[in-house]
Amino acid sequence: MSDMESLTAPHRCLDFHIDSPAEIVEAASRLRQVVLDSEISPIEVMSVFDSWARSLDSRELDEVPGIVFLRMWLRRGTLEPIIARELGPNALDGGWDEYGRSKCRAFPLGVVGHWPAGNVEIQPLLSMTCALLGGNAALVRIPTALVDLTRCLIEKLVQSDRDEVLTRRIFMAAFDHDRRDLQEAMAQAVDGAMIWGGQEAVLQVRALPFPHWARVAVFGPRISVAAMDAGAWGNSDEQESWCRRIARDVWQFDQQACSSPQVLFLEKRQGHSIDEFVRVLRTAFETENQAHPRRTIPGTLTSAIYNARASWLLKDTSHLAIFPKGPDWTLLLGSGPDLPEPVQGKTLTVLEVEDLHDPVLMFDGNVQTLGLGMADPLKEKALTQAAGKRGVDRIVKLGRMHTFVPPWDGVDLIRPMVRMVRHVCSTD
Amino acid sequence: MQQLDEKIDYLLSIPPYSQAPDERHAALLDLLRDELEYGGERHSGYKNYIEQWPIHYRSSGRVADLPFLPVGVLKGDPPLAFVSPQEIKRTLTSSATTSQQPSRVVLDSPTSRRMTKGVVSIVRDFIGASRRPYLVVDTPGFMGGSTLGARGAAIQGLQPFASETTYCLNVDSQGELILDIDKAIEFARRHRDSEVLVYGFTFILWNQLVKPLVAEGICLNLSNIRILHSGGWKRLQDQAVEKTVFNQELARVFGCRPDRVIDFYGMVESVGVIFPDCTEGNKHAPTFGDVLVRDALTLEPVEVGEKGIVEVCSILPTSFPGNLLLTEDLAQVLAYDGCPCGRRGISFRFAGRVPKSEIRGCGNIQSKRTSVK
Repeated sequence: MSDMESLTAPHRCLDFHIDSPAEIVEAASRLRQVVLDSEISPIEVMSVFDSWARSLDSRELDEVPGIVFLRMWLRRGTLEPIIARELGPNALDGGWDEYGRSKCRAFPLGVVGHWPAGNVEIQPLLSMTCALLGGNAALVRIPTALVDLTRCLIEKLVQSDRDEVLTRRIFMAAFDHDRRDLQEAMAQAVDGAMIWGGQEAVLQVRALPFPHWARVAVFGPRISVAAMDAGAWGNSDEQESWCRRIARDVWQFDQQACSSPQVLFLEKRQGHSIDEFVRVLRTAFETENQAHPRRTIPGTLTSAIYNARASWLLKDTSHLAIFPKGPDWTLLLGSGPDLPEPVQGKTLTVLEVEDLHDPVLMFDGNVQTLGLGMADPLKEKALTQAAGKRGVDRIVKLGRMHTFVPPWDGVDLIRPMVRMVRHVCSTD
Repeated sequence: MQQLDEKIDYLLSIPPYSQAPDERHAALLDLLRDELEYGGERHSGYKNYIEQWPIHYRSSGRVADLPFLPVGVLKGDPPLAFVSPQEIKRTLTSSATTSQQPSRVVLDSPTSRRMTKGVVSIVRDFIGASRRPYLVVDTPGFMGGSTLGARGAAIQGLQPFASETTYCLNVDSQGELILDIDKAIEFARRHRDSEVLVYGFTFILWNQLVKPLVAEGICLNLSNIRILHSGGWKRLQDQAVEKTVFNQELARVFGCRPDRVIDFYGMVESVGVIFPDCTEGNKHAPTFGDVLVRDALTLEPVEVGEKGIVEVCSILPTSFPGNLLLTEDLAQVLAYDGCPCGRRGISFRFAGRVPKSEIRGCGNIQSKRTSVK
């Protein structure tokens, strides 16, 4: 490419268009060579991330779902402790950690392929950052619906990374999920893979022909649950704050993320009804809806929401529901510890239970996050213990159910995409 | 109930496309409110549903604000019913080709009677009232019994226009439908100079009648004919058969003009209300029902020219909650009145089904692991 062409042509990170397996093979080969030719320490990666995070702090991007999380995630203050915990205290500048007579250090796998979910706008980039922090190159498949937004966000990285410290390690490939030839080429070309999404998508990607040495981390379909003890929801001074937190957790990602609460269990409080709490929750939903209304909705989701409302109320005359005329949000009210079928689309089932352990004992391994609002620390401790035993991977305060901090789904985010190399010195 | 019956019968007695929109809406609103109350008195779950609707049906000022049910809830077993099992005369089931679980709707005698009246009223407006020889492009195996599918219901719905009925398909040893060509030719020979009615499901007409007759080079020479078909185009999609080609080929094998072919849409859940194409290619709602095309985001009725999800309203059923049904079909509104064909009220065209796109995302659990208690 001539100097003139390099000034006018789009940066290769911004050209997502892919039409042949050969393009993917060529890109992976180039990325692998970059990893071999130039090591990069987490501290260097974080330095670029810092600038990138600042550039994302602009009004034009405020409406992007999850942008606040992405900015927070990219901060040095967030990442430093994660790297130290996952890769070792000296890993920040690429140093070795001593363990008795041996030393350990993280080395990159090479080229890490990313298959993000189509519903989480910032996920292609979040996934990519995990691989880059491990010193890898990233080959990212961008779901068709996220192409424009991802290009917009990666453009900011290109501007922040003038020396191409990171951007030469990145290749974005946008193609339809049913392009089997491209999916296979991508799988064959990587040394590691991070796969996110719904059941159908995850099963399809996991079945691709990865090399036998490739490490594969799957962040598959899960649901999440919220729970509050009687002391928390019954405290009228704090109801508004709790309800705001719940609404925020429900609204993020249109309740389609694995960390989105589908049901809220409320511990029964003798002699008290939940009516007042539900009234406050309704107000919180209305307020959140005014602040963040939907712009579009797939017809399938509209049908699912109306089906859920009707089925709930027809099934049992003790069931109640609160919803506006449109499909904006729904509260389905009842009692009992059974986990309802997840509806998504801001449909929260609120169930009263005698004891919060009752629903937890019925968790079947599909529950990823338990969002808690508890007044009693002893109850919280016991519930956490029970939830951990029943397959829950994250137990967090309500309002923080989507906060992207590893371990996520019970596994680290950076460590699975590095090799921990041990050196026992022969000269000792 | 008697008062409700009288009101329904009155609207059924009016010419089906004669009322101005305002007049129609006022009558429908009044009657549908009564029917909601009637349903609530007979089904506690339904009462629970309609009473928790954001706008109470008694204070609703528009049909669009009345509590509708998504058609999916009619897929339950046992079916939702406002009548006791002893009163059920027949159960209709929808075609389950586009969904795994068919809808099931129960009919008692009054609803069944009204269903027939509704279909007759609509079809009469398109083909006239006289009885005529009726050629059914199907087998008689679909008729009879206490349960009737969509094909059987459509065939039966047109019986009041029949002076005699001939079924021209057989089932072969593999269970496939095949045309009895001799029977079809004999029917054509006997009724060459008469007015004739033909009905078949769209894909059956094409595969089991048009294709074999074209292959044999046979024309039935029935120029004074009305050909009605329904059931949708989905099963002809892989053959890429366009509507105009379908009409032309059908006209060729029958020896008639293409405008003698009438496509109508009907769903068993909306008993007695069907939607034939008018001469302009549009569909209309009769006085005893209505169609609302709702925006998927707000559920408000769309403006002229826009597309949305179809809600079908019908005053006819009192044996199950089928008065206000949100379907999974899409339509485009062409006008809220003034179709050049002369029929009053909404004119619209169907625009396919709500896409069954996968709700993507890591929170999309499709199946559960074994629950451990």
